[in-house]
Amino acid sequence: MEKLLISDFKEILNKLKDVMVENRDYLIEIDGIMGDSDLGLTMSAAFTAASDLAEDYSDDDIGTMLSKAGMAMSKAAPSTMGTLMGTGFMRGGKALKGKAEINLKNLYSFWDAFMTGLLDRGKAKIGDKTINDSLYPAVLVLKDESDRNSELYPAFQKALKAAEEGVEKATAMQAQFGKAAYYGEKSRGKVDPGSIVGKLLIETFTDYFKTQ
Amino acid sequence: MKKFLNKPEQFVDEMLEGIYLAHPDKLKYVNNDLRCLVRADSKKGKVGISTGGGSGHLPLFLGYVGDGMIDGCSVGGVFQSPSADQMFEVTKAIDQGQGVLYIYGNYGGDIMNFDMAAEMADMEDIKVLQVVAGEDVASSPKGEEHKRRGVAGIFFVYKIAGAAADKMLSLEEVKRLADKAAANVRTMGVALSPCIVPEIGKPSFTIEDGQMEIGMGIHGEPGIDKGPLKTADETAQILVDKIVKDLPYEKGDEVAVLVNGLGATPKEELYVLYRKVSEILNKAGISVFHVFVGEIATSMEMAGLSLSLLKLDDELKELLAKPADTPFYKQFQL
Repeated sequence: MEKLLISDFKEILNKLKDVMVENRDYLIEIDGIMGDSDLGLTMSAAFTAASDLAEDYSDDDIGTMLSKAGMAMSKAAPSTMGTLMGTGFMRGGKALKGKAEINLKNLYSFWDAFMTGLLDRGKAKIGDKTINDSLYPAVLVLKDESDRNSELYPAFQKALKAAEEGVEKATAMQAQFGKAAYYGEKSRGKVDPGSIVGKLLIETFTDYFKTQ
Repeated sequence: MKKFLNKPEQFVDEMLEGIYLAHPDKLKYVNNDLRCLVRADSKKGKVGISTGGGSGHLPLFLGYVGDGMIDGCSVGGVFQSPSADQMFEVTKAIDQGQGVLYIYGNYGGDIMNFDMAAEMADMEDIKVLQVVAGEDVASSPKGEEHKRRGVAGIFFVYKIAGAAADKMLSLEEVKRLADKAAANVRTMGVALSPCIVPEIGKPSFTIEDGQMEIGMGIHGEPGIDKGPLKTADETAQILVDKIVKDLPYEKGDEVAVLVNGLGATPKEELYVLYRKVSEILNKAGISVFHVFVGEIATSMEMAGLSLSLLKLDDELKELLAKPADTPFYKQFQL
Protein backbone atom coordinates (compact mmCIF):
# COMPACT_ATOMS: atom_id res chain seq x y z
CA MET A 1 0.00 0.00 0.00
CA GLU A 2 2.41 2.68 -1.06
CA LYS A 3 -0.35 5.00 -2.17
CA LEU A 4 -2.60 6.63 0.39
CA LEU A 5 -6.13 7.71 -0.48
CA ILE A 6 -8.50 10.08 1.26
CA SER A 7 -10.01 7.13 3.15
CA ASP A 8 -6.57 6.51 4.71
CA PHE A 9 -6.33 10.09 5.92
CA LYS A 10 -9.84 9.96 7.36
CA GLU A 11 -8.79 6.87 9.28
CA ILE A 12 -5.52 8.48 10.43
CA LEU A 13 -7.39 11.55 11.72
CA ASN A 14 -9.79 9.23 13.51
CA LYS A 15 -6.85 7.40 15.12
CA LEU A 16 -5.25 10.71 16.10
CA LYS A 17 -8.48 11.63 17.88
CA ASP A 18 -8.45 8.31 19.75
CA VAL A 19 -4.81 8.74 20.72
CA MET A 20 -5.33 12.29 22.01
CA VAL A 21 -8.43 11.28 23.96
CA GLU A 22 -6.57 8.29 25.48
CA ASN A 23 -3.67 10.54 26.44
CA ARG A 24 -5.86 13.35 27.72
CA ASP A 25 -5.20 12.81 31.43
CA TYR A 26 -1.51 12.09 30.88
CA LEU A 27 -1.08 15.35 28.93
CA ILE A 28 -3.01 17.28 31.58
CA GLU A 29 -0.71 15.86 34.23
CA ILE A 30 2.61 16.62 32.54
CA ASP A 31 1.41 20.06 31.37
CA GLY A 32 0.38 20.89 34.94
CA ILE A 33 3.98 20.65 36.15
CA MET A 34 5.18 23.83 34.40
CA GLY A 35 2.22 24.92 32.25
CA ASP A 36 -1.47 25.63 32.72
CA SER A 37 -2.50 21.95 32.39
CA ASP A 38 -4.94 22.56 29.54
CA LEU A 39 -2.96 20.63 26.92
CA GLY A 40 -4.91 17.37 27.30
CA LEU A 41 -8.18 19.24 26.92
CA THR A 42 -7.10 21.31 23.93
CA MET A 43 -5.57 18.35 22.07
CA SER A 44 -8.61 16.12 22.48
CA ALA A 45 -10.89 19.03 21.49
CA ALA A 46 -8.73 19.86 18.47
CA PHE A 47 -8.44 16.33 17.10
CA THR A 48 -12.10 15.53 17.76
CA ALA A 49 -12.99 18.57 15.62
CA ALA A 50 -10.53 17.48 12.91
CA SER A 51 -11.87 13.94 12.85
CA ASP A 52 -15.48 15.15 12.71
CA LEU A 53 -14.65 17.40 9.80
CA ALA A 54 -12.91 14.59 7.93
CA GLU A 55 -15.84 12.26 8.45
CA ASP A 56 -18.18 14.78 6.82
CA TYR A 57 -15.82 15.66 3.96
CA SER A 58 -17.25 14.26 0.75
CA ASP A 59 -14.70 15.27 -1.94
CA ASP A 60 -11.46 13.38 -2.72
CA ASP A 61 -8.98 16.28 -2.32
CA ILE A 62 -6.71 15.17 0.52
CA GLY A 63 -4.94 18.53 0.83
CA THR A 64 -8.11 20.58 1.10
CA MET A 65 -9.54 18.18 3.66
CA LEU A 66 -6.41 18.45 5.83
CA SER A 67 -6.39 22.26 5.53
CA LYS A 68 -10.03 22.42 6.56
CA ALA A 69 -9.26 20.07 9.43
CA GLY A 70 -6.59 22.58 10.49
CA MET A 71 -9.10 25.42 10.49
CA ALA A 72 -11.52 23.30 12.49
CA MET A 73 -8.79 22.56 15.03
CA SER A 74 -7.85 26.15 15.67
CA LYS A 75 -11.53 27.03 16.00
CA ALA A 76 -12.16 24.23 18.51
CA ALA A 77 -8.99 24.84 20.52
CA PRO A 78 -7.93 28.50 20.54
CA SER A 79 -4.87 27.94 22.74
CA THR A 80 -1.22 28.08 21.71
CA MET A 81 -0.90 24.39 20.90
CA GLY A 82 -4.35 24.32 19.25
CA THR A 83 -3.32 27.19 17.01
CA LEU A 84 -0.01 25.48 16.24
CA MET A 85 -1.72 22.20 15.32
CA GLY A 86 -4.21 24.13 13.20
CA THR A 87 -1.35 25.93 11.46
CA GLY A 88 0.51 22.67 10.85
CA PHE A 89 -2.48 20.99 9.24
CA MET A 90 -3.41 24.08 7.22
CA ARG A 91 0.13 24.45 5.86
CA GLY A 92 0.61 20.72 5.35
CA GLY A 93 -2.76 20.49 3.61
CA LYS A 94 -1.82 23.35 1.32
CA ALA A 95 1.24 21.36 0.19
CA LEU A 96 -1.07 18.51 -0.87
CA LYS A 97 -3.81 20.65 -2.41
CA GLY A 98 -5.67 18.91 -5.24
CA LYS A 99 -4.14 15.49 -4.60
CA ALA A 100 -6.32 12.38 -4.36
CA GLU A 101 -3.32 10.04 -3.98
CA ILE A 102 -0.28 10.44 -1.74
CA ASN A 103 3.11 8.70 -1.66
CA LEU A 104 5.99 9.07 0.81
CA LYS A 105 7.42 12.04 -1.11
CA ASN A 106 4.10 13.86 -0.82
CA LEU A 107 3.80 12.90 2.81
CA TYR A 108 7.25 14.33 3.47
CA SER A 109 6.16 17.60 1.84
CA PHE A 110 3.14 17.60 4.18
CA TRP A 111 5.37 17.26 7.25
CA ASP A 112 7.91 19.72 5.92
CA ALA A 113 5.20 22.37 5.46
CA PHE A 114 3.71 21.41 8.83
CA MET A 115 7.09 21.94 10.52
CA THR A 116 7.73 25.24 8.75
CA GLY A 117 4.29 26.37 9.90
CA LEU A 118 5.12 25.57 13.53
CA LEU A 119 8.41 27.43 13.36
CA ASP A 120 6.84 30.49 11.66
CA ARG A 121 3.84 30.74 13.91
CA GLY A 122 5.26 29.65 17.25
CA LYS A 123 8.52 31.61 16.90
CA ALA A 124 10.28 29.04 19.10
CA LYS A 125 13.62 27.78 17.85
CA ILE A 126 15.00 24.25 17.77
CA GLY A 127 16.51 23.60 21.19
CA ASP A 128 13.99 25.76 23.11
CA LYS A 129 12.35 22.64 24.62
CA THR A 130 9.12 22.60 22.62
CA ILE A 131 7.25 20.35 20.20
CA ASN A 132 9.85 21.34 17.61
CA ASP A 133 12.47 19.26 19.38
CA SER A 134 10.71 15.96 18.76
CA LEU A 135 9.04 16.74 15.45
CA TYR A 136 11.94 18.37 13.62
CA PRO A 137 14.32 15.35 13.90
CA ALA A 138 11.49 13.11 12.67
CA VAL A 139 10.84 15.34 9.66
CA LEU A 140 14.56 15.28 8.80
CA VAL A 141 14.44 11.47 8.80
CA LEU A 142 11.38 11.54 6.52
CA LYS A 143 13.30 13.73 4.08
CA ASP A 144 16.13 11.16 3.92
CA GLU A 145 13.75 8.26 3.58
CA SER A 146 11.77 10.07 0.90
CA ASP A 147 14.99 10.77 -1.06
CA ARG A 148 15.79 7.05 -0.87
CA ASN A 149 12.29 6.02 -1.99
CA SER A 150 11.73 3.96 1.15
CA GLU A 151 8.54 2.13 2.03
CA LEU A 152 6.11 4.02 4.27
CA TYR A 153 6.24 1.83 7.38
CA PRO A 154 10.03 1.48 7.74
CA ALA A 155 10.42 5.17 6.97
CA PHE A 156 8.01 6.10 9.76
CA GLN A 157 9.59 3.59 12.16
CA LYS A 158 12.87 5.48 11.77
CA ALA A 159 11.11 8.83 12.07
CA LEU A 160 9.42 7.66 15.26
CA LYS A 161 12.77 6.61 16.71
CA ALA A 162 14.11 10.11 15.98
CA ALA A 163 11.03 11.67 17.62
CA GLU A 164 11.48 9.51 20.72
CA GLU A 165 15.14 10.50 20.96
CA GLY A 166 13.97 14.09 20.51
CA VAL A 167 11.67 13.77 23.52
CA GLU A 168 14.64 12.52 25.59
CA LYS A 169 16.86 15.39 24.45
CA ALA A 170 14.09 17.93 25.08
CA THR A 171 13.65 16.57 28.61
CA ALA A 172 17.27 17.44 29.35
CA MET A 173 16.97 20.96 27.87
CA GLN A 174 16.34 24.16 29.75
CA ALA A 175 13.03 25.69 28.63
CA GLN A 176 13.42 28.93 26.65
CA PHE A 177 9.85 29.41 25.60
CA GLY A 178 6.36 29.85 27.04
CA LYS A 179 5.42 29.56 30.69
CA ALA A 180 8.00 26.81 31.31
CA ALA A 181 10.79 29.32 30.58
CA TYR A 182 10.06 31.02 33.93
CA TYR A 183 11.37 27.87 35.62
CA GLY A 184 14.83 28.38 34.12
CA GLU A 185 17.34 25.74 35.26
CA LYS A 186 14.59 23.94 37.19
CA SER A 187 12.96 22.96 33.88
CA ARG A 188 15.83 20.57 33.10
CA GLY A 189 14.89 16.93 33.58
CA LYS A 190 11.18 17.63 33.24
CA VAL A 191 9.47 16.20 30.18
CA ASP A 192 8.16 18.77 27.69
CA PRO A 193 4.47 18.12 26.98
CA GLY A 194 4.73 19.65 23.49
CA SER A 195 7.47 17.20 22.53
CA ILE A 196 5.16 14.38 23.61
CA VAL A 197 2.45 15.71 21.28
CA GLY A 198 4.99 15.70 18.42
CA LYS A 199 5.91 12.10 19.17
CA LEU A 200 2.23 11.05 19.37
CA LEU A 201 1.60 12.48 15.90
CA ILE A 202 4.40 10.46 14.28
CA GLU A 203 3.56 7.39 16.35
CA THR A 204 -0.04 7.40 15.17
CA PHE A 205 0.99 7.53 11.51
CA THR A 206 3.54 4.74 12.15
CA ASP A 207 0.98 2.51 13.87
CA TYR A 208 -1.44 3.05 11.01
CA PHE A 209 1.11 1.95 8.39
CA LYS A 210 2.03 -1.06 10.51
CA THR A 211 -1.51 -2.40 10.45
CA GLN A 212 -1.94 -1.96 6.70
CA MET B 1 -11.76 44.02 45.44
CA LYS B 2 -14.66 46.47 45.12
CA LYS B 3 -16.15 46.40 41.64
CA PHE B 4 -19.56 46.57 39.98
CA LEU B 5 -19.81 42.95 38.93
CA ASN B 6 -22.24 40.08 38.80
CA LYS B 7 -20.07 37.05 38.22
CA PRO B 8 -16.37 37.74 37.53
CA GLU B 9 -16.29 35.13 34.74
CA GLN B 10 -19.19 36.94 33.02
CA PHE B 11 -17.47 40.33 33.18
CA VAL B 12 -16.46 40.60 29.52
CA ASP B 13 -19.64 39.21 27.99
CA GLU B 14 -21.88 41.34 30.21
CA MET B 15 -19.82 44.41 29.34
CA LEU B 16 -20.35 43.58 25.66
CA GLU B 17 -24.08 43.04 26.13
CA GLY B 18 -24.25 46.49 27.70
CA ILE B 19 -22.35 48.02 24.80
CA TYR B 20 -24.64 46.47 22.16
CA LEU B 21 -27.73 47.58 24.09
CA ALA B 22 -26.39 51.13 24.39
CA HIS B 23 -25.31 51.53 20.76
CA PRO B 24 -27.60 49.32 18.64
CA ASP B 25 -27.46 51.63 15.63
CA LYS B 26 -23.63 51.74 15.63
CA LEU B 27 -22.36 48.31 16.65
CA LYS B 28 -23.35 44.69 16.12
CA TYR B 29 -21.76 41.26 16.42
CA VAL B 30 -21.34 38.46 13.89
CA ASN B 31 -21.19 34.67 13.94
CA ASN B 32 -23.50 34.71 16.96
CA ASP B 33 -20.47 35.61 19.08
CA LEU B 34 -20.56 38.75 21.26
CA ARG B 35 -16.79 38.95 20.93
CA CYS B 36 -16.86 39.45 17.14
CA LEU B 37 -17.75 43.15 17.05
CA VAL B 38 -18.28 45.10 13.81
CA ARG B 39 -19.79 48.38 12.65
CA ALA B 40 -23.50 48.35 12.01
CA ASP B 41 -23.23 51.14 9.44
CA SER B 42 -20.16 50.48 7.31
CA LYS B 43 -19.29 52.73 4.39
CA LYS B 44 -19.47 50.76 1.14
CA GLY B 45 -16.56 49.72 -1.03
CA LYS B 46 -13.67 50.73 1.22
CA VAL B 47 -10.74 48.82 2.67
CA GLY B 48 -11.74 47.13 5.93
CA ILE B 49 -9.73 47.77 9.08
CA SER B 50 -9.76 45.32 11.95
CA THR B 51 -8.18 45.24 15.35
CA GLY B 52 -8.37 43.10 18.44
CA GLY B 53 -6.91 42.51 21.84
CA GLY B 54 -7.69 41.80 25.44
CA SER B 55 -10.45 43.51 27.39
CA GLY B 56 -9.70 45.87 30.24
CA HIS B 57 -8.45 48.84 28.21
CA LEU B 58 -11.60 50.71 27.13
CA PRO B 59 -11.95 52.69 24.98
CA LEU B 60 -9.14 50.58 23.48
CA PHE B 61 -9.71 48.49 21.34
CA LEU B 62 -13.36 48.19 20.39
CA GLY B 63 -14.09 51.84 21.19
CA TYR B 64 -12.52 52.94 17.93
CA VAL B 65 -14.91 50.93 15.76
CA GLY B 66 -16.99 53.49 13.95
CA ASP B 67 -17.17 56.20 11.32
CA GLY B 68 -13.78 57.53 10.24
CA MET B 69 -11.83 54.95 12.20
CA ILE B 70 -11.99 51.15 12.11
CA ASP B 71 -14.57 48.56 11.09
CA GLY B 72 -14.26 45.57 13.39
CA CYS B 73 -12.68 44.27 16.57
CA SER B 74 -12.30 40.83 18.09
CA VAL B 75 -12.55 40.98 21.86
CA GLY B 76 -10.53 38.80 24.23
CA GLY B 77 -10.90 38.11 27.94
CA VAL B 78 -9.32 40.62 30.32
CA PHE B 79 -5.71 41.06 29.14
CA GLN B 80 -6.05 37.97 26.89
CA SER B 81 -5.86 37.66 23.14
CA PRO B 82 -9.04 36.84 21.24
CA SER B 83 -8.89 33.65 19.15
CA ALA B 84 -7.73 33.45 15.54
CA ASP B 85 -11.17 32.21 14.59
CA GLN B 86 -12.88 35.27 16.09
CA MET B 87 -10.45 37.48 14.19
CA PHE B 88 -11.22 35.57 11.00
CA GLU B 89 -14.99 35.94 11.48
CA VAL B 90 -14.56 39.71 11.89
CA THR B 91 -12.35 39.75 8.79
CA LYS B 92 -15.01 38.03 6.68
CA ALA B 93 -17.70 40.38 7.97
CA ILE B 94 -15.85 43.61 7.15
CA ASP B 95 -14.22 42.65 3.85
CA GLN B 96 -15.88 44.46 0.97
CA GLY B 97 -13.65 43.01 -1.72
CA GLN B 98 -10.90 45.62 -1.18
CA GLY B 99 -9.05 43.61 1.48
CA VAL B 100 -8.58 44.08 5.19
CA LEU B 101 -5.84 45.73 7.23
CA TYR B 102 -5.09 44.35 10.70
CA ILE B 103 -3.76 46.90 13.20
CA TYR B 104 -2.85 45.54 16.62
CA GLY B 105 -0.39 45.87 19.47
CA ASN B 106 2.92 44.04 19.68
CA TYR B 107 2.06 41.15 22.03
CA GLY B 108 2.92 37.47 21.46
CA GLY B 109 -0.59 36.00 21.69
CA ASP B 110 -2.13 38.67 19.46
CA ILE B 111 0.60 38.26 16.84
CA MET B 112 0.20 34.49 16.69
CA ASN B 113 -3.57 34.67 16.39
CA PHE B 114 -3.67 37.52 13.85
CA ASP B 115 -1.07 35.66 11.73
CA MET B 116 -3.29 32.61 11.88
CA ALA B 117 -6.40 34.63 11.00
CA ALA B 118 -4.56 36.12 8.02
CA GLU B 119 -3.76 32.61 6.84
CA MET B 120 -7.40 31.58 7.21
CA ALA B 121 -8.43 34.66 5.23
CA ASP B 122 -5.92 33.79 2.53
CA MET B 123 -7.60 30.39 2.14
CA GLU B 124 -10.83 32.25 1.39
CA ASP B 125 -9.08 34.66 -0.98
CA ILE B 126 -9.45 37.70 1.29
CA LYS B 127 -6.39 39.88 1.01
CA VAL B 128 -4.99 40.84 4.42
CA LEU B 129 -2.07 43.09 5.34
CA GLN B 130 -0.89 43.76 8.88
CA VAL B 131 0.52 46.63 10.92
CA VAL B 132 1.90 45.78 14.35
CA ALA B 133 2.06 48.85 16.59
CA GLY B 134 4.79 49.03 19.24
CA GLU B 135 5.88 52.44 20.52
CA ASP B 136 6.48 52.21 24.28
CA VAL B 137 10.01 53.58 24.59
CA ALA B 138 10.38 52.16 28.11
CA SER B 139 9.73 48.57 26.99
CA SER B 140 12.85 48.09 24.87
CA PRO B 141 15.86 50.25 24.03
CA LYS B 142 16.51 52.09 20.80
CA GLY B 143 17.76 49.66 18.16
CA GLU B 144 15.30 47.03 19.39
CA GLU B 145 12.15 48.93 18.44
CA HIS B 146 10.57 45.72 17.08
CA LYS B 147 10.30 44.40 20.65
CA ARG B 148 8.37 47.38 21.97
CA ARG B 149 4.90 47.01 23.47
CA GLY B 150 1.99 48.69 21.75
CA VAL B 151 0.18 51.14 24.04
CA ALA B 152 -1.91 54.32 23.69
CA GLY B 153 -0.15 55.48 20.51
CA ILE B 154 -2.09 52.91 18.50
CA PHE B 155 -4.94 55.44 18.67
CA PHE B 156 -3.05 57.60 16.14
CA VAL B 157 -2.52 54.58 13.88
CA TYR B 158 -6.27 53.84 13.88
CA LYS B 159 -7.08 57.48 13.22
CA ILE B 160 -4.68 57.83 10.29
CA ALA B 161 -5.58 54.46 8.73
CA GLY B 162 -9.31 55.06 9.20
CA ALA B 163 -9.18 58.44 7.48
CA ALA B 164 -7.07 56.95 4.68
CA ALA B 165 -9.55 54.10 4.11
CA ASP B 166 -12.39 56.64 4.08
CA LYS B 167 -10.66 58.41 1.18
CA MET B 168 -11.14 55.10 -0.67
CA LEU B 169 -7.38 54.52 -0.92
CA SER B 170 -6.10 51.02 -1.72
CA LEU B 171 -5.14 48.45 0.91
CA GLU B 172 -1.43 48.99 0.17
CA GLU B 173 -1.79 52.75 0.51
CA VAL B 174 -3.75 52.51 3.78
CA LYS B 175 -1.03 50.21 5.14
CA ARG B 176 1.72 52.60 4.05
CA LEU B 177 0.08 55.46 5.93
CA ALA B 178 -0.63 53.32 9.01
CA ASP B 179 3.01 52.21 9.03
CA LYS B 180 4.10 55.81 8.73
CA ALA B 181 1.97 56.82 11.71
CA ALA B 182 3.26 53.84 13.73
CA ALA B 183 6.87 54.76 12.90
CA ASN B 184 6.41 58.37 14.02
CA VAL B 185 4.71 57.84 17.37
CA ARG B 186 6.41 57.29 20.73
CA THR B 187 4.82 56.74 24.13
CA MET B 188 5.87 56.37 27.74
CA GLY B 189 3.78 55.88 30.86
CA VAL B 190 3.95 56.03 34.64
CA ALA B 191 1.79 54.15 37.13
CA LEU B 192 0.82 55.04 40.70
CA SER B 193 -1.36 52.07 41.59
CA PRO B 194 -2.02 48.57 40.20
CA CYS B 195 -5.19 47.19 38.65
CA ILE B 196 -7.34 44.15 39.41
CA VAL B 197 -8.39 41.54 36.87
CA PRO B 198 -11.94 40.56 37.99
CA GLU B 199 -11.38 36.81 37.74
CA ILE B 200 -8.21 37.07 39.83
CA GLY B 201 -9.79 39.37 42.40
CA LYS B 202 -6.65 41.03 43.71
CA PRO B 203 -3.83 43.13 42.25
CA SER B 204 -1.10 41.05 40.60
CA PHE B 205 1.59 43.49 41.79
CA THR B 206 1.91 46.36 44.24
CA ILE B 207 3.18 49.92 44.14
CA GLU B 208 3.79 51.11 47.71
CA ASP B 209 2.33 54.31 49.06
CA GLY B 210 4.43 57.27 48.02
CA GLN B 211 6.05 55.32 45.17
CA MET B 212 5.65 55.44 41.39
CA GLU B 213 6.68 53.08 38.62
CA ILE B 214 8.18 54.82 35.60
CA GLY B 215 7.72 53.11 32.26
CA MET B 216 5.11 50.58 33.33
CA GLY B 217 3.10 48.78 30.62
CA ILE B 218 -0.69 48.67 30.36
CA HIS B 219 -0.87 45.16 31.85
CA GLY B 220 1.43 46.05 34.73
CA GLU B 221 4.62 45.01 32.93
CA PRO B 222 7.54 46.29 35.00
CA GLY B 223 8.91 49.71 34.10
CA ILE B 224 12.47 50.98 33.96
CA ASP B 225 12.56 52.70 37.34
CA LYS B 226 10.70 52.53 40.61
CA GLY B 227 11.04 55.35 43.09
CA PRO B 228 9.47 58.02 45.26
CA LEU B 229 6.50 59.86 43.75
CA LYS B 230 7.64 62.86 41.73
CA THR B 231 5.83 66.13 41.06
CA ALA B 232 3.79 66.57 37.88
CA ASP B 233 6.49 68.83 36.43
CA GLU B 234 9.27 66.35 37.18
CA THR B 235 7.19 63.51 35.70
CA ALA B 236 6.50 65.52 32.55
CA GLN B 237 10.21 66.26 32.22
CA ILE B 238 11.16 62.57 32.46
CA LEU B 239 8.55 61.49 29.91
CA VAL B 240 9.22 64.25 27.37
CA ASP B 241 13.01 63.86 27.63
CA LYS B 242 12.91 60.14 27.00
CA ILE B 243 10.36 60.36 24.15
CA VAL B 244 11.91 63.35 22.36
CA LYS B 245 15.38 61.83 22.41
CA ASP B 246 14.12 58.51 21.07
CA LEU B 247 12.64 59.31 17.65
CA PRO B 248 14.15 62.00 17.85
CA TYR B 249 11.70 64.90 17.64
CA GLU B 250 13.62 67.99 16.61
CA LYS B 251 13.40 71.76 16.50
CA GLY B 252 10.96 72.74 13.77
CA ASP B 253 8.96 69.51 14.00
CA GLU B 254 5.21 69.61 14.36
CA VAL B 255 3.51 67.06 16.62
CA ALA B 256 0.18 65.88 17.96
CA VAL B 257 0.22 65.23 21.71
CA LEU B 258 -1.79 62.62 23.61
CA VAL B 259 -2.00 62.76 27.40
CA ASN B 260 -3.76 59.54 28.34
CA GLY B 261 -5.23 58.56 31.69
CA LEU B 262 -4.82 54.89 32.67
CA GLY B 263 -8.20 54.55 34.40
CA ALA B 264 -8.14 56.12 37.86
CA THR B 265 -6.31 59.38 37.24
CA PRO B 266 -8.55 62.44 36.92
CA LYS B 267 -8.39 64.70 33.89
CA GLU B 268 -7.37 67.55 36.15
CA GLU B 269 -4.05 65.84 36.79
CA LEU B 270 -3.58 65.15 33.08
CA TYR B 271 -3.90 68.90 32.41
CA VAL B 272 -1.48 69.74 35.23
CA LEU B 273 1.00 67.48 33.48
CA TYR B 274 0.28 68.91 30.03
CA ARG B 275 1.06 72.42 31.30
CA LYS B 276 4.70 71.39 31.71
CA VAL B 277 4.78 69.25 28.54
CA SER B 278 3.70 72.29 26.55
CA GLU B 279 6.42 74.45 28.13
CA ILE B 280 9.18 71.91 27.40
CA LEU B 281 8.10 71.36 23.78
CA ASN B 282 7.84 75.11 23.26
CA LYS B 283 11.38 75.62 24.54
CA ALA B 284 12.63 72.83 22.27
CA GLY B 285 11.09 74.53 19.24
CA ILE B 286 8.61 71.70 18.63
CA SER B 287 5.20 73.05 17.67
CA VAL B 288 1.95 71.42 18.69
CA PHE B 289 -0.78 70.88 16.07
CA HIS B 290 -3.38 69.36 18.39
CA VAL B 291 -3.61 68.03 21.95
CA PHE B 292 -5.73 65.03 22.95
CA VAL B 293 -6.34 64.75 26.70
CA GLY B 294 -8.39 61.97 28.26
CA GLU B 295 -8.79 58.23 28.56
CA ILE B 296 -7.73 56.69 25.27
CA ALA B 297 -6.14 53.41 26.43
CA THR B 298 -6.63 52.34 30.03
CA SER B 299 -5.64 49.50 32.31
CA MET B 300 -8.78 48.85 34.37
CA GLU B 301 -8.56 51.05 37.49
CA MET B 302 -4.83 51.68 37.35
CA ALA B 303 -3.82 55.19 38.43
CA GLY B 304 -1.27 56.67 36.10
CA LEU B 305 -0.90 58.25 32.71
CA SER B 306 1.01 58.04 29.48
CA LEU B 307 2.30 60.65 27.09
CA SER B 308 2.47 60.09 23.33
CA LEU B 309 3.84 62.29 20.56
CA LEU B 310 3.11 61.83 16.86
CA LYS B 311 5.39 63.61 14.43
CA LEU B 312 3.34 65.04 11.59
CA ASP B 313 3.89 65.89 7.98
CA ASP B 314 1.32 67.31 5.57
CA GLU B 315 -0.23 63.96 4.67
CA LEU B 316 -0.49 62.69 8.26
CA LYS B 317 -1.84 66.05 9.42
CA GLU B 318 -4.58 66.04 6.80
CA LEU B 319 -5.70 62.54 7.86
CA LEU B 320 -5.47 63.22 11.59
CA ALA B 321 -7.67 66.29 11.13
CA LYS B 322 -10.57 64.39 9.52
CA PRO B 323 -13.70 63.91 11.60
CA ALA B 324 -14.46 60.65 13.41
CA ASP B 325 -17.56 59.37 15.14
CA THR B 326 -17.63 56.19 17.21
CA PRO B 327 -19.61 55.40 20.36
CA PHE B 328 -16.45 56.05 22.39
CA TYR B 329 -14.70 58.77 20.38
CA LYS B 330 -15.95 61.82 18.54
CA GLN B 331 -13.90 64.36 16.69
CA PHE B 332 -14.87 67.33 14.52
CA GLN B 333 -12.68 68.43 11.61
CA LEU B 334 -9.56 69.91 13.23
